[in-house]
Amino acid sequence: MLLITGFSSVVSAQTNKKANEDTEAWRYELEVAGTGVQGTYLLKVWSYSKKPNVAIEQAKKNAVHGVIFKGFAGDQGILGKPPLTTNSNLEQEKDQWFKEFFADGGKYMKFVSLSSDGAVAAEDRMKVGKQYKIGVLVSVNVALLRKDLEEAGIIKSLSAGF
Amino acid sequence: MKLQIMKIALLSLMILGATTLGFSQAKKPTLMVVPSDVWCNTNGYMQTYDDQGTKVKIPDYKRAFQENSDLLAVISKINGMMAERGFPLKNMESVIKTLESERAENAILTSKTGSGVSESPMDKLKKVAKADIIIQLTWDVLKTGPKKSVRFTLQGLDAYTDKEIATAGGTGNPSFSAETAVLLEEAVADKIDNFNVGLQRHFDDLFANGREIIIRIKKFDSWKNDLETEYGGKELNVIIEDWVRANTVKNRFSNSDATENMMLFEQVRIPLYDASGNATDARGFTRGLQKLLAAPPYSIANKLTVKGLGQAVIVLGEK
Repeated sequence: MLLITGFSSVVSAQTNKKANEDTEAWRYELEVAGTGVQGTYLLKVWSYSKKPNVAIEQAKKNAVHGVIFKGFAGDQGILGKPPLTTNSNLEQEKDQWFKEFFADGGKYMKFVSLSSDGAVAAEDRMKVGKQYKIGVLVSVNVALLRKDLEEAGIIKSLSAGF
Repeated sequence: MKLQIMKIALLSLMILGATTLGFSQAKKPTLMVVPSDVWCNTNGYMQTYDDQGTKVKIPDYKRAFQENSDLLAVISKINGMMAERGFPLKNMESVIKTLESERAENAILTSKTGSGVSESPMDKLKKVAKADIIIQLTWDVLKTGPKKSVRFTLQGLDAYTDKEIATAGGTGNPSFSAETAVLLEEAVADKIDNFNVGLQRHFDDLFANGREIIIRIKKFDSWKNDLETEYGGKELNVIIEDWVRANTVKNRFSNSDATENMMLFEQVRIPLYDASGNATDARGFTRGLQKLLAAPPYSIANKLTVKGLGQAVIVLGEK
């Protein structure tokens, strides 16, 4: 019994690790899902994992990661947004800071919430090979996120230098 | 003992450096949202006057602010979102009111001996609502059958170089039920981040390559010399051009117009700080040229006027 529990927790940890590797390798897609309330972005995040639950949880991390480093394209009357950083090497330069920020249960959780309480529409759950591709609606509090990154000296504020 | 002295000297240097850094902030440009001429014209906020037989239309901003609540709401939303980013904007409506009250005060202000406040025609001309960067605002409501959508444009214009430094615009999602005010709020929230990316790019460029300004050289017709007069075998226009070349960041400028009576320098990149580490602008920069021309061997009396942070005019011949 102990052996089975131990084995399953090892498998789960490996799945989480794989999901984190996918995030770092930019293996996720962001789609604009609407105009959020002031200071927020409403996004649909497509994440990959063998376990749907892991993909849903990873969607939050991917959303924050994407808003900081990747940006997203616009769609039907809503403008796409560029990433918060204009420095293309930021993730390497502040490697340690981002490791802690994006750690499981890390500070990134403060800036993101699932918009549909984790419910995934049937058309947003796809099987791609051995993995699931899951689309989850999330809301990212970009105003708070930007302020936090500015205060930590990770990105420059608009009034920096004046 | 020697080591201790070195340590104290190093510490003093560090403190001095930190103090200097603390003070060396570049001069912050002012921003103001202004409804565009197109918007004012479309919504009927124009004044018409007769300019020697030609009908000229100019925007009536005061009436627009007094009568259009949508304009007030949009400007207030933009101002609020910019303040959140640490960049509060000048409010045009308040600027107009302040100018009016100042004008009234100047008209009645007298000293005990009965003297009024000096005001030249130039002073009067300069009393208009202005900012270093104008955020020009345009929107219109598009209708297709029962559906409504808002086409919204924000343009960031450098008041001196006339360059469009930031822009964001587009047509929002059509809606059957949403009110125009709600569509406008949505449009501001959707566009402002993209606008700020352009603004940030402009500021990054300013810190990397210096502030971009315009310098004009003119002459009073009472002055008997002109810009082709030779001093020590060199024409005055060449002397001025050499000074500009030597003092600009990476020698970047273009002399776009030059005659015997005037010179126009555009895209002049000036350092943000002068030699003593103080923040500078067009006035501070051009004062160097003014001093050079006023001193021997040139000894040319001249007048320096400026417009905000980015435009300077030197008129040669008199004060």
